[in-house]
Amino acid sequence: MASVPLLKPHSHCSALPSVRRCGPATVHAQRSAGRSGAAALKARAFPLDVVPLMVTMVEHVDNQRDWVVTKSIWHLSDTAIKSFYTFYAMFTVWGICFFGSMKDPFYDSEYYREQGGDGTVHWYYDRQEDLEASAREELLREDLLEEIEKRVGGLRELEEAGIK
Amino acid sequence: MQTPTMSTSMATLTARPTSTVPGAPAKLPAPRQCYLLPGRRAGLAGGAPSASSKKKNPWLDPFDDGPDEDFDYTGVYSGGKQEEDPRPPEDPTNPYGFLRFPPSYMPELDSLASKVRGDVRRACCVVSGGVYENVLFFPVLQLLKDRYPGVLIDVVASARGKQVYEMCKNVRYANVYDPDDEWPEPAEYTHQLGVMKNRYYDMILSTKLAGTGHALFLFMSSAREKVGYVYPNVNGAGAGLFLTEMFKPPTTNLSDGGYNMYQEMLEWLGRPAKGVPQQPIPPLRVSISKKLRAIVEDKCSRAGVEKGKYIVVHGIESDSVANMKSRGDDDCLLPLEQWAEIAKEISSGGNGLRPLFVMPHEKHREEIEDIVGKETSYIFITTPGQLTCLINDAAGVVATNTAAVQLANARDKPCVALFSSEKKARVFLPYAEEKKSCTIVASTTGKLVDIDIEAVKNAVKDFQPAPSFALAQQ
Repeated sequence: MASVPLLKPHSHCSALPSVRRCGPATVHAQRSAGRSGAAALKARAFPLDVVPLMVTMVEHVDNQRDWVVTKSIWHLSDTAIKSFYTFYAMFTVWGICFFGSMKDPFYDSEYYREQGGDGTVHWYYDRQEDLEASAREELLREDLLEEIEKRVGGLRELEEAGIK
Repeated sequence: MQTPTMSTSMATLTARPTSTVPGAPAKLPAPRQCYLLPGRRAGLAGGAPSASSKKKNPWLDPFDDGPDEDFDYTGVYSGGKQEEDPRPPEDPTNPYGFLRFPPSYMPELDSLASKVRGDVRRACCVVSGGVYENVLFFPVLQLLKDRYPGVLIDVVASARGKQVYEMCKNVRYANVYDPDDEWPEPAEYTHQLGVMKNRYYDMILSTKLAGTGHALFLFMSSAREKVGYVYPNVNGAGAGLFLTEMFKPPTTNLSDGGYNMYQEMLEWLGRPAKGVPQQPIPPLRVSISKKLRAIVEDKCSRAGVEKGKYIVVHGIESDSVANMKSRGDDDCLLPLEQWAEIAKEISSGGNGLRPLFVMPHEKHREEIEDIVGKETSYIFITTPGQLTCLINDAAGVVATNTAAVQLANARDKPCVALFSSEKKARVFLPYAEEKKSCTIVASTTGKLVDIDIEAVKNAVKDFQPAPSFALAQQ
């Protein structure tokens, strides 16, 4: 917090009547009063650029620096409040769905796993496709076997004819 | 679009007849027999200027005047077909998990030749239409597999069309997405796009006639080569902009082409390259799995028919979605009264054969019992896989122009096919002359209802019960 006036020296005292003199003075005080004026560094951040200023109170005490109190107010608009609560509600719903489904004993059960379930939604169709593809491969193998048998049969006939 | 030079070299090869590859016909590798369609195919492979000798996609290069005869587009690397997946063995002890790509994803390890050649490791086929169109797509899949060894093929088809792929050994994944749906749900659309992007296809083939919308869909899949049919009329304007290769069918209905509906695509896919002759077009073949066989045997026994002792009757008039008719033939279902006469002829033949009605919907149960008779046997089958299995165990098939006809011929079963006209018969069964087992009965008036029942009865008489040893072999 102490570094804020370093970055934005004028914001510290912008509420004071003489802005133009005060700004550089603060920086100067900070630099010159290296040992004694540690209080000069303890200026608060003053977010006047963001929120509207409502009141500035200056209390004077003898032999002390002035106490400066500023009050500001920050209102959310109706739309902003609605958006906030909408987000809050949606986040809650999402959270219930997400974290609620993280531990579903059904997906760890034998009943689900033994049928081939792997946690994805699509496993059922993938398995069906693989079944069909393997059935067709089987068909191809059977056909090849048949063809080979036919050829071997033909060769055997040829051999027999040769022997005779 | 990513590799325009690549697509140039690919497409220009299309335009060259086989004669530019000297001695190519002599070097033809022992092809898969093409006995279903010998005449037309042989003519094409012989180097006749085919329909594919056209300019390449004019949308991508308006100044393209066709290939330069003197230029070697393919370079020294690209001879021959691609190798099967050049996958080194995984090293389980390697701490870095090095080389642990899934199969067919080999970005760093692929050879330069693979890039130049334009190898296709993963292909996706977006097939429009129902069961019939998907069954006829099987030769394309087989050709892909033959032309690009080791390719992984996935299919995207409608819910009805997908069922066909339980009979196809060449396919890896079959996804349900109806490309014919004009207003797909946005979620479905984007999901399908995501699936296709994630699989990093090298080539995407589409048989839906593309306008700009469908072409964009294909384009957004980020496949390297986007190949598809476009509308032959104004609706196709601009679609070619997003495709690397496009085909124009003669009419707006692809199914009008009948058995050869995918002819242009087949020719382009099997186009000759350096050291690779034109790929012969394979016949339609389907395979049957053991599981399916068990299911259908169970169903048959409950229907009360004996294996090899029944004739499958398919093509009852019905508004069910499972009637498996082609989009190219509207008039292809026969009312039950006429089927009843044919069935009577079959069961009175004296060789122990029984007709077995395949009903596409349960609601026909009572109709069949009323019209054909209480003691007749019927079976409720909607999936093409089960139908194929049923046909495979049968002594023969009597069917109108439904998928059953193609399936019977794919399994080499004797078949009597009823058509609404000679023309349709020639389009849908162009191989019927070569096949002794297939008899065509066509109506003379152009309406299937007026078909000559006597001719059908005569044809049906020739059916013989399948000998048991023949069944044991299959």
